[in-house]
Amino acid sequence: MKRYRISVNGQSYDVAVEEMAAAGAAPVPAPNPVTIAAAPGAPSAQAAPAAPAGSVGAAVAGALTIKAPMPGTVLSFRVAAGQAVVRGDVLLLLEAMKMENEIVAPHNGTVASLRVASGAAVNTGDALVDLV
Amino acid sequence: MDEKIKGLEARRKKVVDGGGAKRVAAQHEKGKMTARERIEALLDPSSFTELDTFVEHRCTDLGMVEIKAPGEGVVTGYGTVNGRLVYVFAQDFTVIGGSLGEAHAKKICKAMDMAVKVGAPVIGINDSGGARIQEGVDALCGYGDIFYRNVASSGVVPQISVIMGPCAGGAVYSPALTDFVFMVEKTANMFITGPQVIKAVTGEDVSGEDLGGALVHAATSGVAHFTYPDEASTIAGIKKLLSFLPQNNVEDPPLAATKDAPTRRDEELKNVIPDSANKPYDVREVIKRVFDAGDFLEVQPLYAMNIVTCFARLGGRSVGIVANQPKIMAGVLDINASDKASRFIRFCDAFNIPLVTLTDTAGYLPGVGQEHGGVIRHGAKLLYAYSEATVPKITVIMRKAYGGAYIAMCSRHLGADQVFAWPSAEIAVMGPDGAANIIFKKEIEESTDPLATRKEKIAEYKENFANPYKAAIRGYVDDVIDPADTRTRLVGALAMLLGKRVQGPVRKHGNIPV
Repeated sequence: MKRYRISVNGQSYDVAVEEMAAAGAAPVPAPNPVTIAAAPGAPSAQAAPAAPAGSVGAAVAGALTIKAPMPGTVLSFRVAAGQAVVRGDVLLLLEAMKMENEIVAPHNGTVASLRVASGAAVNTGDALVDLV
Repeated sequence: MDEKIKGLEARRKKVVDGGGAKRVAAQHEKGKMTARERIEALLDPSSFTELDTFVEHRCTDLGMVEIKAPGEGVVTGYGTVNGRLVYVFAQDFTVIGGSLGEAHAKKICKAMDMAVKVGAPVIGINDSGGARIQEGVDALCGYGDIFYRNVASSGVVPQISVIMGPCAGGAVYSPALTDFVFMVEKTANMFITGPQVIKAVTGEDVSGEDLGGALVHAATSGVAHFTYPDEASTIAGIKKLLSFLPQNNVEDPPLAATKDAPTRRDEELKNVIPDSANKPYDVREVIKRVFDAGDFLEVQPLYAMNIVTCFARLGGRSVGIVANQPKIMAGVLDINASDKASRFIRFCDAFNIPLVTLTDTAGYLPGVGQEHGGVIRHGAKLLYAYSEATVPKITVIMRKAYGGAYIAMCSRHLGADQVFAWPSAEIAVMGPDGAANIIFKKEIEESTDPLATRKEKIAEYKENFANPYKAAIRGYVDDVIDPADTRTRLVGALAMLLGKRVQGPVRKHGNIPV
């Protein structure tokens, strides 16, 4: 396991990255740190896509993907995979520009997949939630 | 004589019947009204006077001698909406697809010229297959003549385009040059090149609806200002919009009767904004509480939702509101928000509609995409539009107003006539976190506990600078007010500013960074 210190907007994060032997192995969470799914330019970028389903959901075919409207950090999810939502329900809080931005469901549906982990830093256009 | 009158009636009936019963039925089947039905629905009962009923084309090429086009595929004339004169033209899809030829365009141009002459809004209802190809360059001339008039009338009379069917190719540019574009969901399409051409050239597979439907233009491209589910609700929307507008640029907007007292206080306003500065709220809640009877008409409600632009009334007088929307993307200013707000501001300024700005923004959106997309150029439009506007400008700073965003949101420095701030306002050169990091860099680095020192310094900066009083001390803010009094103070300021006159230097025109 390799450990990196990543600085995002002046905030530093300790990130542990483990090389996976085979697909399906459970990820070993680092003791305390934030899991960074895909912070472009950060050393964890290569390792992140290897994370298996479970911690971060895979893309669901035919689903509407809710994308990050701006760069920020996923503070917390308000929904879980499989949960039914109605239009306007808060899916997650995205901290950006020092604001806790509510990302809401654009229409009624069911949460198919959470595409990033809570605490992840995301960039504009990164997938957050798949909705069917 | 009776014979002759009968002859007239027969000729008129032929034109009124348009493309005939079969085509009219086909139009109805698509959920669309005919051109005449639309005009009927829009105007006050029996107020419509038609012009150029008997105009015919003079094309002899490509078999056009044989083709009769009753009314030339467009109905033009004037009438009233709620008693106020408007000029209107409606393309008739039942007559050779509402295609635009020389005579068709001439009818439209005459209506536009008359509208400018008498100072009345122009409403154009578009439902056309495009250029009448048989007429060749005469059709192109027709489009060009209309565009030229759209520009010449811009800022003279309000121009409203209504898309109630296809509108493709060059035809899209007339609506694009007008002040407002209405689109009907599912039946209206707008694009420069259609799905087939796109498929042939780039290989992309896209439906007409996904390419240029109402929702696409409302939410993604920003081409449409208003969308409605059907034609009846669209027409109701046009009437509502007209109610806020003056007839032309030398008139003031109509004064509406209101039962909402100018002295009404709203003790709940202070609870709309969360105590914590990083919590979002819906700025439309503030608008509802401050302006007459909570009534407002949002322009481009689905586009760049991080800024709200809308018409409302204060003491019966029309105002244009520009408000940051903290609920969407922290109310940041970005490329699209700047474009949306600047165009709205320029419309209000052209038509004597005072501007009220409600400020609470996290600032400009950082990002490579924004910088490479030209946020410098686009953001500059907002500064330009506000500075250039000579209508009364009133600003209420509700919460965050930092740095460039503070200046841009109609600060005193861009010519605001009155600036009010709520006690919750944070007006400073930058946010506490960033400022503390720079100003107290040395102290933080040298501290035995940098994190604690940093936190301390942020709090210190916040206490001393993130408030409205530093700006009020300089007079950049005229007064710090209790949110409950916002309505009263705005009504008062607006009444005081009615006589505002600004004379700029003589010039041909400025050069807005488009």
